[in-house]
Amino acid sequence: MYFLFFLFEGLEFSFWVSALVTLVFSVLVGLSMNNLIYKQLRVRGANKVILLIASFALLIMFESVILIFFGADVKVIEFLKIEKGFQFLGAVITPLQIFIILSSIVLFFLFFSFMKKTKLGKAMRAVSDNPEVAQIVGISPEKIYLWSFLVGSLIAGFAAIFISLEQNLRPMIGTEIMVKSFAAAIIGGIGSVPGAILGSLLLGFSENYGIWFIDSGYKDAIGFGILLVFLIFRPRGILGLKKGLGE
Amino acid sequence: MEGYLIHFTILIAIYSLLTLSLQLSIGFAGLLNLGHIAFYAIGGYSSSLLSLQGMDFLSSILIAGILSSFFACCLSFPTNKLKGDYFAVATMGFSFVVYEISLNWVSLTKGPMGLVGIPRPDILGFVLNQNIHFLFLCLFFLIFSYLSLSLIVRSPFGRVVQSIRDDELAAKILGKNTNKVKRIVLSVSAFFAGIAGGLYAHYINYIDPDSFTVMELIPVLCIVIIGGLGSLKGTLIATFVLVLLPEPLRFIGFSSDVIGPARQIIYAVLLICILIYRPKGLYGRFDLK
Repeated sequence: MYFLFFLFEGLEFSFWVSALVTLVFSVLVGLSMNNLIYKQLRVRGANKVILLIASFALLIMFESVILIFFGADVKVIEFLKIEKGFQFLGAVITPLQIFIILSSIVLFFLFFSFMKKTKLGKAMRAVSDNPEVAQIVGISPEKIYLWSFLVGSLIAGFAAIFISLEQNLRPMIGTEIMVKSFAAAIIGGIGSVPGAILGSLLLGFSENYGIWFIDSGYKDAIGFGILLVFLIFRPRGILGLKKGLGE
Repeated sequence: MEGYLIHFTILIAIYSLLTLSLQLSIGFAGLLNLGHIAFYAIGGYSSSLLSLQGMDFLSSILIAGILSSFFACCLSFPTNKLKGDYFAVATMGFSFVVYEISLNWVSLTKGPMGLVGIPRPDILGFVLNQNIHFLFLCLFFLIFSYLSLSLIVRSPFGRVVQSIRDDELAAKILGKNTNKVKRIVLSVSAFFAGIAGGLYAHYINYIDPDSFTVMELIPVLCIVIIGGLGSLKGTLIATFVLVLLPEPLRFIGFSSDVIGPARQIIYAVLLICILIYRPKGLYGRFDLK
């Protein structure tokens, strides 16, 4: 996101060029993080918790780097001027938002069929289920991890571009979005693509309807309230297959 | 220079309280509690609010600790069933909630403006205005908590706590009520975190929500892991070293805008390195599970 800002506003590249470079950059960062850090950790037999702490540390590190180079103030990317929205079913929606929604749907279907239909997607799910058995049938988990980092970073790069068009940029936005997307993934059910969508929808709706009733500053608190409710009553999420309690 | 040293030792003492209490839940019970900052915040806010209302220091800081552990007890009900990374994210979510409440409940916490003019501690009519006196108070609390934590850890109860870290199922089979034990551990560790928060508030005389963001967790977590899981001594030493570590930055002459993030970067890089090369930490006897 900040990279996009840097290219677009700082170096004054055209938007499409900067968006493309941003995608490539986020994939490269994802892959190098996998090779430099996560792979080292896995080779030394680290478990999920260690990986979690390491990724948390990485997140804070990147945010601090951003803080040093770009400062703490809010940044705006002015690519599309804010236009007057259409009336749609009594709600106002801007062309930009329609664009974001349509592209997300396209991305979602691509990703969904990728995970379900292609050999690589199936292999990914196999490794997620049980890396050792996957290895026995000849799938290299390391290769799969590499691919999943590639695909994951690519999709995250798309999300970053959309968000930076719609919202302002703050250095801390990473933590907020990360924790929120983790919450959505748990609510929807880990390991289920439609579940992730359902979880995000539920989270987004309840956060935004919730502020009709209480102060808008409590938006994130509402999200976590829902997460806690799910953790108590249905820890595997709406569509989760695996029980969400395991290691 | 002397003033600086005293200031520094006070900060180390307060930090040690925080890291020791986190060590209890991560190192001994194996509960990866990423919401520890929230208990620190609850302690800081409640102690300062109570003493701003005119309550004396000792009772307000005790109530602050008890309130923190009450919240920890409440938090442990939904999170007790969760393991490893799920527990970590749920507790981290809790610290976001506490942060937002401290930011938005303006009538109580004054929101982003923070609480100003928190009085210095006043023990039986003796006001600790000088930092050197405050230092003795902090050291007293530190020694008290160190001793009580090491007593807890060595007691039969402590053995049960450590057995939960090593194998919760086995502990259950032996008839231990692991949920109850985990709840107690979380409450005790939150109690000391609350006291640390209270001491911090009374020392700085000012708190605002930004003193207690999730970012603050990184140094604390870094200290606990570098000190080594399951070692109180290691935690103390690591606190001393790691709080000292970024201080040279101040003398090199970076602006304060850069020092804060640079500190975080140092801690984050250190944390990743120690996870890769020595996940046991300095004095640790156990791996993270």
